[in-house]
Amino acid sequence: MAKTRSDLLQGTLDMLILRTLALESMHGWGVSQRIQQTSSGVLNVNQGSLYPALYRLEEQGWITAEWGSSDNNRQAKYYKLTRAGRKQLDEETANWQRLSAAVEQVLQAT
Amino acid sequence: MPNNLARSLRTLFKLNRAEQEMEREVRFHLEMETEENLRRGMNPEEARLTALRSFGGVERFKEECRDVKRNRPLETLWQDVRFGARVLRRNPGFTLLAVLTLSLGIGANTAIFSVVYGVLLRPLPYQQGGQLIVLRQQAPLARNNNLFFSVGEIDDYRAKNRTVADLAEHHSMAFTLFGGPEPERIQAAVVSANFFELMGVTPLLGRTFASSDEAHGAEAVLILSHQYWRRSHKGDPNIVGRVFRMNDRPHTVIGVLPPLPQYPNENDMYMPTSACPTRSGERFIANRNARMMSVFARLKASMSEAQALADLSTIAGRMKETYPDAYPANLGFSLTLASLHKELTERAQPTFLVLLCTAGLVLLLACANTANLTLARLMRRERELALRAALGASRGRLIRQLLTENMLLALIGGVVGVLLAAWSIKLLVNFAARFTPRAAEISPDNTALLFTLVVSVATGLVFGLLPALSLRQNLVPSLKEGSGQTAVSAGRRRLRGALVVAQVAVSFVLLIGAGLMLRSLFKLQEVNPGFDPERVLVMRVTANWSKYTTGQQYRSADYFRTIRLPLLSGRLFTEGDDAQAPQVAMINQTLARHRWGDEDPVGKRISFNEGRNWVTIIGVVGDVRQYGLNREPTDELYRPVRQTNGAGNLLVRTTAAPAVMAPQLRQAVYGVDPENAIDQVQTLERVRHESIASPRLTTVLLGLFAALALLITAAGIAGVMALTVSQRTHEIGIRMALGASAISVLRMVLRQGLTLVLLGLALGVAGAFALTRLMSTLLFAVEPTDPLTWLMVALALAAVATLACFVPARRATLIDSLTALRSE
Repeated sequence: MAKTRSDLLQGTLDMLILRTLALESMHGWGVSQRIQQTSSGVLNVNQGSLYPALYRLEEQGWITAEWGSSDNNRQAKYYKLTRAGRKQLDEETANWQRLSAAVEQVLQAT
Repeated sequence: MPNNLARSLRTLFKLNRAEQEMEREVRFHLEMETEENLRRGMNPEEARLTALRSFGGVERFKEECRDVKRNRPLETLWQDVRFGARVLRRNPGFTLLAVLTLSLGIGANTAIFSVVYGVLLRPLPYQQGGQLIVLRQQAPLARNNNLFFSVGEIDDYRAKNRTVADLAEHHSMAFTLFGGPEPERIQAAVVSANFFELMGVTPLLGRTFASSDEAHGAEAVLILSHQYWRRSHKGDPNIVGRVFRMNDRPHTVIGVLPPLPQYPNENDMYMPTSACPTRSGERFIANRNARMMSVFARLKASMSEAQALADLSTIAGRMKETYPDAYPANLGFSLTLASLHKELTERAQPTFLVLLCTAGLVLLLACANTANLTLARLMRRERELALRAALGASRGRLIRQLLTENMLLALIGGVVGVLLAAWSIKLLVNFAARFTPRAAEISPDNTALLFTLVVSVATGLVFGLLPALSLRQNLVPSLKEGSGQTAVSAGRRRLRGALVVAQVAVSFVLLIGAGLMLRSLFKLQEVNPGFDPERVLVMRVTANWSKYTTGQQYRSADYFRTIRLPLLSGRLFTEGDDAQAPQVAMINQTLARHRWGDEDPVGKRISFNEGRNWVTIIGVVGDVRQYGLNREPTDELYRPVRQTNGAGNLLVRTTAAPAVMAPQLRQAVYGVDPENAIDQVQTLERVRHESIASPRLTTVLLGLFAALALLITAAGIAGVMALTVSQRTHEIGIRMALGASAISVLRMVLRQGLTLVLLGLALGVAGAFALTRLMSTLLFAVEPTDPLTWLMVALALAAVATLACFVPARRATLIDSLTALRSE
């Protein structure tokens, strides 16, 4: 079954989720809100991509999940970054910076 | 929270654990999103709908999440199993047939394996049984390969050896036991005091012998065997201490043995050497030629059998030099030894290995059949599979699903097989008991269960992989095909053909094996036993004393007349040959020929004790095959019963049916002397029947397997042919519409089937050639390449196979061309 988004975008989403969780453990809704707010509304993660990404990251052992109660006393699943996840985040950040620098170079070339 | 939201969510997501969690998570998210929307100013309805919409397509979402969670192998496995179970339930005919064939195959293998394991593979139940050896003295030049041992020889070996940790003696005698409700005839083993210690046996009750029990003049003691204790004393826990009378002495029971196989023969009880009247006699002990005992030994920890043999042979050599009178050169005296394990298993090995191979082949046949059935069903399921592939299942996933189904089938077959095996094992144990005392150790235990599991899994793999791997890479075209008739890939058809060929070949091999055994059995039954066994009753009557004999037979004057043994020369015993008359003897033809060649031995004299007493030969009779119909007759010498005292078998030729006369005869014997003990009453015909029981049972088992094989193969052939016909219905319809006759259609179909059969026969001939030489030890007077058997088997198999082809072929001719053309 073909994926409709490119691997590039998927990797980027993973990186953003990991980065968000590096600052603070939170539930899926929180992650999506935080990404939206931090990007000033540019990046709007739709749920259909968010949760599969979260489950995938969990399978790979980069985040762990735990049920807890939210601010308004509702049950929610909180995700936390693991040490392996932190390492993965650093790696992906480095890759991204290298990639975006290269793209920038190409665009600047006359 | 709004009810319909909850309800709709629940219907969207199936309620199992992971899905439940997902649902809760998503619910939370939706709630938060709805609240956010409300805060932004939407009305409740809008808020809800917007939230829902933001999730995108629900199915897609579910599938994606599930896909990610694909790596939970246990959950998918469980799904596969449930689906597989449902598939099997929906096809009860197929499932039942497959389970039946598989369970028969697996069950047979488990049963035979239990026997093979219990008898051949399992280590002996004695402590460190690998160190136990059996010694044997032989005089090959006098054609005697078991000379037994005398007291002097045992002492020499025990004292002078360097390789053996301990040595024990054993001989078995029948005595009469008094102290029970009636005089009881028992079989007692007379052993040295260290016997049980050597074997590493600890008693169940009481104690075993101490060296003080063996001292000359010690009180006589007894240890009961487990079987005897249970049988004759109902497992009485207070048996220790009871006193019985035997050989005019009191014997005290000091212990009971645990249930163990008894080697070399089953005995009711054990006693020390000092308690045996013969063994403890002074003259017997001093006489180096008085050989009666068997010897067991335990190797020293660091010694090998070869070293022990060299060491003990040296001692034997020195004995020959020191006592030349006891070891005349014409004996060719020598010593040999073998491990106890080998002694116990040698006789059983060939038969059981052949049976194991046979059972294995039958299982292969069952696998081939099930594989064929599965392939056939697969073709009908192609649309379903194609649909699943289109919905996103990878080829690997589908293969895994099919494999799980087949594994399930195999495991169910395994469970039923285990039940079948447990039920049949008692019969097999009785059968095995004829070959080895270890039969008592056979039981369906954990090893057998493990074996069954392994075999079931292997079976599932074998017949499951083949069809599963035949799945085409791209299944989608079958969806597009309008007709339900999917085009059969040539590869798959060839596979089915190959399976049938293999089945025919294997069946041929099995049938040849069974056929050879059958002919062998007939030959055995035809062997002239040397006497006329009709309506003769045999009883063993013993007076209160049993004497050791040197291979002589004591016969009353009427013996030869009773069994109608032909007198070839001289005269028979008469009443006049009693204790006062000159000592006489009769010999058989074989002995006459060996000692005197063509000369008439009547009138010649022979002596057993170096000229002290002479016996005159008064007659020669025909040979009796005393030790089994398949052995050469041995030298036999007969003495009249009145010239010695001893026990004998009383043979009575009855006018009425022997069984009816038995009680009257018993009364007559008791009437003469109530201390006579009678046992082993049976007809001579029965005795003869029993002597060929082992090959008969082997033949029955092999025959059963072969019949099963034939049945499975016939069913397999018929199945394949039927399917071929049904798939070619369209084509056949066209042919018939174009004018082909029924005969030509029949011929066309038959030709296809018979080609397979002939190929199978050819392969089978090659296979049988290679394999049957392995069973030549089981055969009697029949060569493994016996042409008659081969011809008959080939014809029989060809006939059955042709019939199996014929029935579906005939159905082909009945195809109405119009319906055939119309059929999709």
